[in-house]
Amino acid sequence: MTTRRGTPGADGPGFRTTLIRVLTVQVIALALLWLLQTLYHV
Amino acid sequence: MHWINWTIVVVYLVWVVWDGLRKSKDTDSVEGYFVAGRSLSWWVVGLSVMATQLSAITMIGTPGQGATDGIRFVQFYFGLPLAMVILGVTLVPFLHGSGVYTAYEYLERRFDAKTRSLTAFLFLLSRGMSAGTIMAAPGVVLSAIFGFPLVWSVALIGIPTVAYTMIGGVQAVAWADVKQMFLIVIALFAIVAVLAVQMPVNPHDALQIAGATGRLKAFDFSFDPNETYTFWSGIIGGTFLMLSYFGTDQSQVQRYLTARSVDEARSSLLMSAYWKIPLQALILLVGVGVFVYYQFVRPPLLFNPAHEAAVVQEQGAAYGDLQRRYAETFTLRETAALNVAEADGDGQARAAMDAFLAREADIQAIRGEALSLAEEVTGEASRDVNYIIPRFVLSELPLGLAGLFIAGVLAAAMSSIAAELNALATTSVIDFYRRWVRPEADDAHYLRVSKGATAFWGIFACVVATYAATLGSLIEVVNRYGSFFYGSILGVFLLAMLPRSRGTGAFVGLIAGMSAVAAVNFGAPDVSFLWHNVIGAVTVLVVGLALSGVSKRA
Repeated sequence: MTTRRGTPGADGPGFRTTLIRVLTVQVIALALLWLLQTLYHV
Repeated sequence: MHWINWTIVVVYLVWVVWDGLRKSKDTDSVEGYFVAGRSLSWWVVGLSVMATQLSAITMIGTPGQGATDGIRFVQFYFGLPLAMVILGVTLVPFLHGSGVYTAYEYLERRFDAKTRSLTAFLFLLSRGMSAGTIMAAPGVVLSAIFGFPLVWSVALIGIPTVAYTMIGGVQAVAWADVKQMFLIVIALFAIVAVLAVQMPVNPHDALQIAGATGRLKAFDFSFDPNETYTFWSGIIGGTFLMLSYFGTDQSQVQRYLTARSVDEARSSLLMSAYWKIPLQALILLVGVGVFVYYQFVRPPLLFNPAHEAAVVQEQGAAYGDLQRRYAETFTLRETAALNVAEADGDGQARAAMDAFLAREADIQAIRGEALSLAEEVTGEASRDVNYIIPRFVLSELPLGLAGLFIAGVLAAAMSSIAAELNALATTSVIDFYRRWVRPEADDAHYLRVSKGATAFWGIFACVVATYAATLGSLIEVVNRYGSFFYGSILGVFLLAMLPRSRGTGAFVGLIAGMSAVAAVNFGAPDVSFLWHNVIGAVTVLVVGLALSGVSKRA
């Protein structure tokens, strides 16, 4: 079975790495939406 | 629509069917037909997962929602990335690793036949009707826009979809999904490009106008269970909903059962985890952009051309009066919007904003009167929001791009319907026919039955879609009651992963979960449906574990 880096696995580091990556992308996306709301929403 | 645009649509339809069939391999066995011999790459499966979830209504209704209501709907997807990661370490290894064809088949291995059959039956019940609904929704819009009968729209979407799904099986579906997903994204960027070039004000001013009307509010942190889209309902309720959808709904489970390994299956789900929220935000922002554009270019008073024609015919004088008021008020609002863009200094900006909002309220009041008139004349709910983007595309996009967008709408519809038909056929054959009717037949027999089942569900979906207008209330009932068991089925799968749980506990828990959701639905109808999934799943877990403990001791 192939295992790429960042693929979630039940065995610890792979899953943690993926979780951090996914959450990082989401935090950036949500931060941009938050910025949009803060700057322009009246 | 210009013949060049129609040519693009026809070329797309021919290409997607021809290439879908060309890429079909190993469809001479049931395993090849239903799970592609478990041979597909993660990116093919990932795009297929995304295309399946992205329906035609996402293409036309969601930007329309962005135009009328802003971007707050994006909160609905906040739980998706977390759900994908959770599924990657929980259900995906169980389902893919056990070599099953359907999610429900796994439940018999873990529990018993009655739990498998009940969950499979609930899937067939809800998805059988929803396949018709997701075909009808764009069908109705296309018919109204182009003025041809609904049955033509249904045929345009249904015939090619049923053809490549029936002949090519899951592999044709997956490869068609890949192309369809690219087409959908290209179509969306075509609108973004047109908006960027043709917008009469600069991006900062456009955002100011959108923000003034509340359309850039993405976060609502209130903890109100009656409010459908809040940060908390998205994070908590959305996570449970996405866990249910991607973890237990055969139309999605079947996508990642085709992956060549557990790791590839996990990676395919992560594609959605990374891209769903940005993509959904983009779709909603396209709608917001269209709203701002229409501050400076006068759109029709009613976006649904069929309703507009009916109102002109039946209530011509009243509608003419509304049109005159609308034209006058639009000019005033346009001036007010320009003043907002050009305002200098806080005081001036505030005054310009107030004037603009007053004019915007006037426009909305006139539009409300027109919608009431349309509802009165046609006897139908207006659903005008679904027509904003198609009207914009056909009137504002340059030659060729409009055809590309319509092809994108068809692609979105076809990808979702193909996955449903494929999953319905798989569940019918594997969980019922092979399990209860003919357990010992050879592979060739099951393959013939599978193709027949795909054709049956395809025709059924087309019939439901064609009669969608008259079946409206029935479809609504099925969809409404569908939410009764979504979370409860998730609860059963969660129970399956706990070693101490037992079959009877799971079965009774499933019924208790559905009853609890029904009680909440009738007792507190204002509670957002996103919370139903949480209630259902938790009830099944609690009841299932309690009964499993009792039966173990006994």
